[in-house]
Amino acid sequence: MAPRTSRRTTRQSAGQSVHPSTGERGEPRANGRRSTRRRSRGRRIPAQASGEGQAPGGGRANVRRRLLPPLRLRRLLPLLVLVAMMAMLMLRGYVHSEVLADYRVRPEAAADRVPRTILDGGPVVDTRGGQATSMDVPDGRIVLTFDDGPDPRWTPKVLDVLKKHDAHAVFFITGTMASRYPDLVERMVDEGHEIGLHTFNHPDLSYQSKKRIDWELTQNQLALAGAAGIRTSLFRPPYSSSASALDNNSWPVTQYVGSRGYLTVLTGVDSEDWRRPGAAEIIRNSTPDKGKGAIVLMHDSGGDRSQTVRALDTYLPQLQRQGYAFENLTEALNAPSAHTEVTGLELWKGRAWTALVKAADDLTGVLVVGLAVIGFLVFARFGLMLLLSALHTRRTRRRDFVWGPDAPVTEPVSVLVPAYNEAKCIENTVRSLVKSDHPVEILVIDDGSSDGTARIVEDLSLPGVRVVRQLNAGKPAALNRGIANARHDLIVMMDGDTVFEPSTVRELVQPFADPKVGAVAGNAKVGNKDTLIGAWQHIEYVMGFNLDRRMYDVLRCMPTIPGAVGAFRRTALNRVGGMSDDTLAEDTDITMAMHRDGWKVVYAEKARAWTEAPESVQQLWSQRYRWCYGTMQAIWKHRRALIERGPSGRFGRVGLPLVSLFMVVAPLLAPLIDLFLVYGLLFGPTGKTIAAWFGVLAVQAACAAYAFVLDRERLTPLVSLPLQQLLYRQLMYIVLLQSWITALTGGRLRWQKLRRKGQVAAPPGEVAVDGGGAR
Amino acid sequence: MSTRSSDVPVPAAESSPNGPVKESAEGTESGTGTEPESGTEPESGTGPGRDRYFDLLRAIALFRVVFYHLMGWAWLPVVFPSMGVMFALAGNLMARSLGRRGAVEVVGGRLRRLLPPLWLLGAVGVTGMLLGGWGPDEEGHPGWWWLHLTYWILPLSDPPYGEDLPGVQGLIGDDWATAMAVPLWYIRAYLWFVLLSPLLLRAVRAAPWPTILSPVALSAALEFGLLSVPGWRLEAALSDVGAFGACWLLGMAHREGVLRRLPRYVVPSLAPVVAGVGLWYALTHDFREGHDLDDMPFAQSLWSFAAVLLLLHISPSWREWPPGLRRWDRLITLLNSRAVTIYLWHTLCIVVTESLWDHLWSVSALEENTPWLLESPWPQLPFIWLLTAGCVVCFGWVEDLAAGRRPRLWPDGSAQGDARAARRTVLDPAGTPPRS
Repeated sequence: MAPRTSRRTTRQSAGQSVHPSTGERGEPRANGRRSTRRRSRGRRIPAQASGEGQAPGGGRANVRRRLLPPLRLRRLLPLLVLVAMMAMLMLRGYVHSEVLADYRVRPEAAADRVPRTILDGGPVVDTRGGQATSMDVPDGRIVLTFDDGPDPRWTPKVLDVLKKHDAHAVFFITGTMASRYPDLVERMVDEGHEIGLHTFNHPDLSYQSKKRIDWELTQNQLALAGAAGIRTSLFRPPYSSSASALDNNSWPVTQYVGSRGYLTVLTGVDSEDWRRPGAAEIIRNSTPDKGKGAIVLMHDSGGDRSQTVRALDTYLPQLQRQGYAFENLTEALNAPSAHTEVTGLELWKGRAWTALVKAADDLTGVLVVGLAVIGFLVFARFGLMLLLSALHTRRTRRRDFVWGPDAPVTEPVSVLVPAYNEAKCIENTVRSLVKSDHPVEILVIDDGSSDGTARIVEDLSLPGVRVVRQLNAGKPAALNRGIANARHDLIVMMDGDTVFEPSTVRELVQPFADPKVGAVAGNAKVGNKDTLIGAWQHIEYVMGFNLDRRMYDVLRCMPTIPGAVGAFRRTALNRVGGMSDDTLAEDTDITMAMHRDGWKVVYAEKARAWTEAPESVQQLWSQRYRWCYGTMQAIWKHRRALIERGPSGRFGRVGLPLVSLFMVVAPLLAPLIDLFLVYGLLFGPTGKTIAAWFGVLAVQAACAAYAFVLDRERLTPLVSLPLQQLLYRQLMYIVLLQSWITALTGGRLRWQKLRRKGQVAAPPGEVAVDGGGAR
Repeated sequence: MSTRSSDVPVPAAESSPNGPVKESAEGTESGTGTEPESGTEPESGTGPGRDRYFDLLRAIALFRVVFYHLMGWAWLPVVFPSMGVMFALAGNLMARSLGRRGAVEVVGGRLRRLLPPLWLLGAVGVTGMLLGGWGPDEEGHPGWWWLHLTYWILPLSDPPYGEDLPGVQGLIGDDWATAMAVPLWYIRAYLWFVLLSPLLLRAVRAAPWPTILSPVALSAALEFGLLSVPGWRLEAALSDVGAFGACWLLGMAHREGVLRRLPRYVVPSLAPVVAGVGLWYALTHDFREGHDLDDMPFAQSLWSFAAVLLLLHISPSWREWPPGLRRWDRLITLLNSRAVTIYLWHTLCIVVTESLWDHLWSVSALEENTPWLLESPWPQLPFIWLLTAGCVVCFGWVEDLAAGRRPRLWPDGSAQGDARAARRTVLDPAGTPPRS
């Protein structure tokens, strides 16, 4: 979401003042931990401030402690959702042979350790119980075998032809295909065909360990049980051919599989249909010497099998006329069926497996659609942003550009600085305001600070600076009190930890030359961008202000005036009823209210304010959680705009959907990018995945660079962009998911004040005020 | 058999924490000097002023080297590139000393501390090789042999060793001489870095980043055939400079504050990219056990550079141990004080342990029931460290002598030892070394 830097200078009591009776909303005040920190970090602590018990609600510290665990659960849930999605993708990769795939095929080897009788014997090899015998199909019977299926396209056609000519066959299915197309397996069994195992994902077993062979067989049986409720005792090793082709590598596998109770079914006559030599050739290949029985190898999967199907349609009646019977293997050998019913736990395991695979396939389909949507949204947004911000820049940077008939605005301005425990920063803030080149009245509203914030300001005894104290009531209340006490009609609001340039106030109020402008957003910049997390936020802010806000300005639906730097017309504020504490994002709330009241809200790029961004993940998390959840609350609060008439309706039908789409819905799909990145890296195509990722990164870098150029910023912080894509974005969408969960479960969010270090002492290029922790 | 194996630690030039006189003087100096953190913690006055973070890195590096020489896992040098870390720490100390004293004095001091432990190893090792039948005929012409033997005194190139010498039946394996030579390349590279350091420091000051990156460029030039040199001796030297020179220079640059002049987001943003390229290069060039980063100087140079860059970027400069690490203080102190001894002797300890371990095969109960125990290298680890501890006691004193200190058997910085040392110092300021 777009940064706005409203820093919740005051710790809000989440509606305590409005609904004092509803204890549930009441936010317990200072608890022990906070005050300990304050004591150790505060610069000047007046004696009366260090006692905590006097703070209203201070006795309720344990309420807060009890509330903590569900919050942690809410943080866990989004992660669980991601892990679950990833697991489903893994499952899909697994049954699509993209995991554990092994395409090695062993070259031919010596055969001196294979018994002569087997090499010269028939294609059905029985090594069960340590024996080694082989059988062949009696004369006049043909056992058709189809390998590698079931295939959604060709298997039904093969089955149709077999049915038409009343023939039975044996299908050697792979576990992956059977898992994906269980209905076809069921149809095979129902129509009297026999099923044999062809392993789970078709590796050359002579390369595999016994454990892996066991696993291949068990997984294949599991898929079969799930599909048709049976087990089978027939097996054909992948890449096998006739018994005479057994060698020293494949023979031990045959022996081992026999010891597990399987009958190995090799090939007598190879149709070579996989070469696609034409139907006539397939028929010729598949026809045994006159009258002799045979096991014929064909394929119903692994490519275009139209020739096989066409050949079968001729081959079957032709050989039936010659007196051949087409039977499945056990019929041909006059043996009991190879199938056994599966019941109980095994059956349920099989069904659960098939259901899971289906779910994974379906989910993947949905996710792919989601990815397409997010891809479209991302690029559409970038395109729109570039286009509209270029337009905005052209418009506002024209030499003869004026905001309106009243230009230039020179009337004095009231600057409101709500402050809650800002001892570290407030001096820099106030001193920067005093240097303003526009006539200002400065009002510091101390929201019941306990670290002597008010005293610090009073001790400065600067001209034009007033301090208003109130009991802790939250930032909206402090701002309303400030509005009530302000003398002028143009009101600038800022945070207690923000530093203005001398020209900031003047630039910020110039748009009021247009009487239709009700509020102005300034350009908040990260002052502490030296660290990685600072640089990431810097990139985010520069893009957010120079691309997002210009776009929203042109579209006339700017969702938020940043709390760090914004200006309002008193008449507009009065018409919408001042600041409200209905939401956690009172800046978004008031901005939307302005739009609905028909005021223009514009962006003044030259009104720069330097703010201190959170420096720890923890603080960043809580800040963004609040913004995110607050924005959702504000959208919900103003949902009626959707059906209203006039400017409200215009905002409701253009602005709200746009803001919802870009700030709340699109980021929800963003994890898909990472899910598919991981999926692509693991299961391939790895190269293409990486290329695509770098492609998106390049687009992003180009947009960021454009924003930096617009803001005349140095480009060096952009080196942290790749890492931002790998670490920061994820944090942001997990926060968003968490907000969604909070919203859907009706949870509430408390204020969490940032720990400030007072690092942003002055705008760059100026000398910091002494004592401000200048870097 | 290759004598190169990775990892090795440092001739812990400045590594005696409670070493009297000079060390503590340096410590105080560093506390009030250019260190940026000097204001964050009150100087305890008694504290030796060592950067405990560097001590920790050196100890981990040393432990990893021994572990790797036993296990041989290819991924161990990836997890922690000990060699690069050791060179970086050494470069850092070198820059510190050069910042205070003249180049000749510093280089001389370094050589004085580096070489005696090597001479002791040579005295034992070369004698053993001669007894095993190694002689002037080994290299075709006795002249060469005699000439190369001087590398045991001043290792400007790799000292020679007897490759096919028999061991001592049942006690020392056949490959003992080769094993003994495994760590020597590090001494040779270290020596060259020390000799070049005055120049290198000047270059770092004049053009930091081109200087730091030039060894990586050298490595790339060697790897891609843009540069080829005659003779394995020169090639080995250049290849090591290419692989680890950037680490040494980074250590110097860190001391000179070059890293601090970068915005803090730069290193964590770029180092993973460099590391990624190095790892990718390794993985696509037959990375496996027996062919790891040590055999791929180019990949090694990138990976070590990135890892060292990150470690130096983090560098919290601990004047005191964080609470969780305090309990390891004595072990880490010991590892630091005897880094050269442990490094030079551990491969021999591994050979001996392995030979002794083989005797267990004759215990039929073990052979039948727990062959995995006999095959596994894990149970040998404690014995290797036990033998290494023996070497520390037997040969470690030479490090103290080389540093001009009173020799100690077990310099783990324990309070008792300190107290005794302090009392002696008080009673006998002349510091007569105990002869016991």
